[in-house]
Amino acid sequence: MKIAMIGWEYPPFKAGGLATHCYGLTRSLADKNIKVDFYMPKTKHRATTDKSNLRIIEVGEAEIFPYDRPNDKELGGNFFDAVYRYNNLLVSRVMGKYDAVHCHDWLTMKAGIALKQKLGVPLILSIHSTEYDRSGWVYPNDWFINIEREGMQHADRIIAVSHFTKRIIVEKYGIDTNKIRVVHNAVYPLGEGKKRNLVLFLGRLTIQKGPEFFLRAARKVLDFEDTKFVVAGMGDMLPKLIDEAVNLGISNNVIFTGLLTEEEVKHIYKIASVYVMPSVSEPFGITALEAISAGTPAIVSKSAGVAETFSNCLRVDFWDTDEMANKIISILRYPPLRTTLSNQGKQEIELFTWDRVADKTIDVYREVVS
Amino acid sequence: MPSVCMYFEVHQPVRLNKFSVFRIGSNKDDTNYFNMELNRKIFEKVARKCYLPTNNLLIDLIKKFNGKFKVSFSLTGTFVEYCENFAPEVIDSFKELFATGSVDFIEETYFHSLSGLYDDLDEFEDQIKMHRKLMKRLFNYKPTVFRNTEAIYDNRVAKKVADMGYKGIITEGTEKILGWRSPNFMYKPVNCDLKVLLRNYTLSDDVGFRFSARQWVSYPLTADKYATWMSNCQGDLINLFMDYETFGEHHWTETGIFDFLSHFPGEVFKHNHLDFVTVSEAIQRYETVGEIDVPWAISWADADRDVSTWLGNDMQIACFNELKNIGRKLRNDGNEELLQVWRKLQTSDHLYYVSTKGLEDGDVHAYFSHYDGPYEGFINYMNILQDFKQKI
Repeated sequence: MKIAMIGWEYPPFKAGGLATHCYGLTRSLADKNIKVDFYMPKTKHRATTDKSNLRIIEVGEAEIFPYDRPNDKELGGNFFDAVYRYNNLLVSRVMGKYDAVHCHDWLTMKAGIALKQKLGVPLILSIHSTEYDRSGWVYPNDWFINIEREGMQHADRIIAVSHFTKRIIVEKYGIDTNKIRVVHNAVYPLGEGKKRNLVLFLGRLTIQKGPEFFLRAARKVLDFEDTKFVVAGMGDMLPKLIDEAVNLGISNNVIFTGLLTEEEVKHIYKIASVYVMPSVSEPFGITALEAISAGTPAIVSKSAGVAETFSNCLRVDFWDTDEMANKIISILRYPPLRTTLSNQGKQEIELFTWDRVADKTIDVYREVVS
Repeated sequence: MPSVCMYFEVHQPVRLNKFSVFRIGSNKDDTNYFNMELNRKIFEKVARKCYLPTNNLLIDLIKKFNGKFKVSFSLTGTFVEYCENFAPEVIDSFKELFATGSVDFIEETYFHSLSGLYDDLDEFEDQIKMHRKLMKRLFNYKPTVFRNTEAIYDNRVAKKVADMGYKGIITEGTEKILGWRSPNFMYKPVNCDLKVLLRNYTLSDDVGFRFSARQWVSYPLTADKYATWMSNCQGDLINLFMDYETFGEHHWTETGIFDFLSHFPGEVFKHNHLDFVTVSEAIQRYETVGEIDVPWAISWADADRDVSTWLGNDMQIACFNELKNIGRKLRNDGNEELLQVWRKLQTSDHLYYVSTKGLEDGDVHAYFSHYDGPYEGFINYMNILQDFKQKI
């Protein structure tokens, strides 16, 4: 079987979980003798592969950062053009004999629809996030929603990263539930490091990820426990968050790291005592698996796909900062809670392999490839 | 001629309030740890679905078969307190059952606790005596057979129970202690004079766990099929021990569990060599056939049949140790009010909720728990223990 897979990010270039997913998925597919041509925009860092079944083909340049949230005025201008330019380029560049086209998220959907027609093969669409998630359900933008809906309607099969996301696809996009399959994400486990007294937030500093709830919980924790809070990542909310830390009077205990390198990310997962993922709307949340794989107990939002499938973590409502603080303090204060979460979590993480994701994805291919 | 001995555990725990770390030490006089609103709601639901209809059915069946159909119960102290506070008609109905003469009661620890696992057995003894008083007050009856919390049993418990004057004790008929031997006989502990009744877990779980499992090869279980299995059994005694909530709660009315129960005695009596006994009749009628040696505690819980259900992870052991340490101080000080709170906190269910056992057992644990998983159970229970510790 040979698949034309269309993405927009692939390690070392990485803006979100989609890059991690594409990396793990394509490599495991290649090991299972599925030939994959992975198409993506040119980036500063050249993506490479050592697998003979896997080719990475860079197509032109896209001056788009897919997680940006441009306002309506900008949408009409350059952003709009850039998206279409990349999709048109893809349509002309992807040729040859494929059994299916597999696209990831909105940025590649236009091309996916056109390629399905051009090549006469089935279209599989993976949904890693929707416009509702990225907007934190605050003023979701119709321009993205319409592209997403069009792609979903044309897809022969949709792979959702959680039941949480499947529900959104059915309820908000009106898609037939019978063509949606849920495949939960996976992780390449990190080793455990020597733990320091710090509580970690790691993610884009956007409304979707709920970093302000992390700061409010930090305020409450600091009345009871002396610890450091690390906010790792970049995003449009950074200035506002720095102000917020000052206003809460906790700036001495909060460290904003800015964007971290891959190595720094791994390091901080390993040394953190608690990982908190207070997302407002999180289709899956691979970062929680990464933290847990490094032996770090995780507190995850109930509005996250990972919360529906992973047992050995703590769950909170993202807005309930009292409960978030209660759980952070409990992990810091009660060593048996920490060790049990850590040990059982590492055991459970072994079930979340890319091998399993590839198997389930192949099952989906087989449903539509003749 | 094997006798069928049916025994039901009747228990409801005193579930805890949500208690965050912020409340620890915040109110010196407040020991209101128990969520009586939730407890009342659950109790009233179970009384409606299980206790009252099953009691009524059993009364009818005993009358129908002229007292030849017999059952035994253990009622925990916490259960009886719920009855007295929220639904006295349930106690009346148990009194009516007892008055038929075909019903027996079994002793246990008043609080359904793990006190049988403490370093000293003084608290264990006190809780048994409390239960003894309760049975005397309610039924003017002195049970002769003892059943420890969830059938937890080892040589030490057996010795203590024998020393306290009981004639029989109930535990699990697991291969761990029996090896090749059958649970359908009575045995004697190696270290004392007592008759041990062993649960036939296959036949008991056929009803308790598997009755409504559609993927089970013997589904649907009918009364005549079940009675035929009994009639094919070798031995003196077939011990069918299960949660009373099996009827109407674990298996809803719609599964046919009440129809099953109502036909069961009649189907058993179709086999001339079968009859029913209460636990005290069983120990009068039958002799022991061998010895059992149980140095490490067993129980009837989960697939492991040991105490790992309550003490299987670090969190459970930490809570258990806190609980024991608090008790050591409290029992010396003798503040009666705080002692009562401590005892309610000893109910084994609080530790059961903190179990992290996976797969099959985990599903069972989740079914019984009102927490979002074991970690939440631990945080809440541990916070309360920390608060309570500051009060003594």
